[in-house]
Amino acid sequence: MIKITNLLKRYDEKVALDYLTLEIKAGTIFGLLGPNGAGKTTLISILNGLTKYNEGEVTVFDLPLDKNLTEIRKRCALIPQTLAFYENLTVIENLNFFGGIQNIQADTLKKNIDYAVETNRLGSMLHQKAATLSGGQKRRLNIAIGLLNDPDILFFDEPTVGIDPESRNEILETIMSFKKVNKTVVYTSHYMPEIEKICDEVAIINAGKIIKQGSIESMLTNESADQLIFEIYETPLAALQECCLKMSALTVIDDSSLMLEGKESNTVSEALALLEAHSVAVKNIRYGTTTLESLFINLTSKGRADV
Amino acid sequence: MFKAMLIKEFLLVSRDKHALAALFVMPAVFILIMSLALKDVFNEDKALIEYAVVDRDNSLESYSLISKLRANKLMNEHNISEDFGKPKEEGVQFIVVIPEGFKSQFSQNEANNSALQIEVASDIGQSHLMLFKTQILSSVMQVRLDAINLATEMQSGMRGEKSAIKKIEFDEAGIMNIHYAALSEDEKPTSTQQSVPSWIVFGLFFVIIPMSTIFINERKQNTLMRLSTMNVSLPVLFGGKIIPYMLINQLQVWVMIAVGMFVVPLFGAAPLTIGGDISALIAVSLALSLSAIGLSILIAVTVDSVEQATTIGGIINILLGAIGGVMVPKFVMPDFMKEFANVSPMSWGLEGFLDVFLRRGTISDVMYEVVGLILFGVVSLIIAAGIFNYKIRRVA
Repeated sequence: MIKITNLLKRYDEKVALDYLTLEIKAGTIFGLLGPNGAGKTTLISILNGLTKYNEGEVTVFDLPLDKNLTEIRKRCALIPQTLAFYENLTVIENLNFFGGIQNIQADTLKKNIDYAVETNRLGSMLHQKAATLSGGQKRRLNIAIGLLNDPDILFFDEPTVGIDPESRNEILETIMSFKKVNKTVVYTSHYMPEIEKICDEVAIINAGKIIKQGSIESMLTNESADQLIFEIYETPLAALQECCLKMSALTVIDDSSLMLEGKESNTVSEALALLEAHSVAVKNIRYGTTTLESLFINLTSKGRADV
Repeated sequence: MFKAMLIKEFLLVSRDKHALAALFVMPAVFILIMSLALKDVFNEDKALIEYAVVDRDNSLESYSLISKLRANKLMNEHNISEDFGKPKEEGVQFIVVIPEGFKSQFSQNEANNSALQIEVASDIGQSHLMLFKTQILSSVMQVRLDAINLATEMQSGMRGEKSAIKKIEFDEAGIMNIHYAALSEDEKPTSTQQSVPSWIVFGLFFVIIPMSTIFINERKQNTLMRLSTMNVSLPVLFGGKIIPYMLINQLQVWVMIAVGMFVVPLFGAAPLTIGGDISALIAVSLALSLSAIGLSILIAVTVDSVEQATTIGGIINILLGAIGGVMVPKFVMPDFMKEFANVSPMSWGLEGFLDVFLRRGTISDVMYEVVGLILFGVVSLIIAAGIFNYKIRRVA
């Protein structure tokens, strides 16, 4: 769906994207992670034709981006981090405007508006001024506008910034629902739990380079890590904490997982014996870090140390 | 695409109370106030001089002079006592003292040592003093002519024959006939016709504020970026601003004309009449609109915040108005200021409107102003496009 090969983008002398190569498959929810200034926004801008690049190849829908921008844009949508609509217009006036500006046929536009309204649960507030919506409702309107051209690819730039957990969950569910209708989502966020929750695949970008890419599961199963993750049957936390008190290398993650610092065989044997003694049944042991967040911090801090 | 842009801009402006006030209420109120305030400046029947007379001669000649002054519509007489104070204290601009022996002026045999004594208030300007002196001189001249006429008639009567010399008259209507260029014989320029063009021009340029406010918000909220990703090009984006605001400007023009025609007369001032060609009026207002919109977009892309746009836009508007003859009519400006006024597009627009409203102009009479305004608008838009592209590239 999106293929990027050796992409170089310079701002004067500063390299923003350093011969970056990346492939995003159709129908996936793809997370783009990286610290501030890593090159995420530049990459999203290039993919939306807002920024020109210096070298490399970018194809979207198997079409070279630089020669087919207009056609590609018709099948994509960018949902910016800012609330890019008119606060003094009502919800339906905003939808009509952003639909009308794209020269979409009237009957198709009506169908698309209905879909956008339904998907984002905006039906009860169509005639309400956008300025009077809550933070979460505004975010949903921001997303709804992106659905008006029925895009095959949606680019989300931190769409849940500054909203309450309930609204965030609603938005994440909406985004996950796009997978059912075979839309591809490119998602950038600083909230790792969000990425873990919705993304099929993740790329970690740092200093203009992809430093790790793959499914979340494969990323968290990392043989070179110094920790082991014990996946256990659900156990009361009190029992798990008792084990941890007896063995300092063990840490409770939640009621169905523990982390062991160190992977030497005698440490593992000791931990297994302790868990057995406390009737904690182990399902699986895997290498790796506990969360995407710790992996992210690990990788990006290495990058900084290298610099 | 344009339809969506048009609807959006109309909705946004119609919901912005401040914009509506700046675009419609403010110029309408200005037209009303200025038409009423300047009403008397263009009224020949209105007394411009407040004076009093102290007659110490009490002669036929002094009575004759007083009656001539009273008959003058430019002058309004006040009564004061013999021991009068300064003109200001008496509530007049001039005090005319007719001295004892005034009548001797009219006798060839007696020595003439009885000139009128004129007391002048200290804040009287030269033009006002000159006007008063002219009125006094013409009145004294009339008294003298009356004396000559009377003497001639008496001499003829004594000889028992009818006077062969024609009686000398001093009647303004018989001496001169006033005709304003391009107006019919009995027409005069009115304060409404002077005020409406000025405040239409000023009001049209107030699109700077709503337009730049909306544009800057669009830029800051990344709405413009979103529109770019929706294949909205720069010409379409600018076109989507130009067309709706041009329509808003035309609406302003006709609302202001309606105020001049129907509201101003309700308050006692003369109604506006469109003397010239309607096509010339439309051409000037469209060209002026393009130049106002071009300048508005240029300001909108140049500044970085709504506060800056409001302040800078307001200042530029007022400066262009002051330079261009909107605030102070160009005919009272010194020569170098009249020349300098030509740098302001408001001056070109004002001249165009005055051609239509005051000078009965046709499309060919306003062509110079129309072309100038269109060029100003187009050049502003080209510079704005350059700045916009530069800023977009810099941000990207």
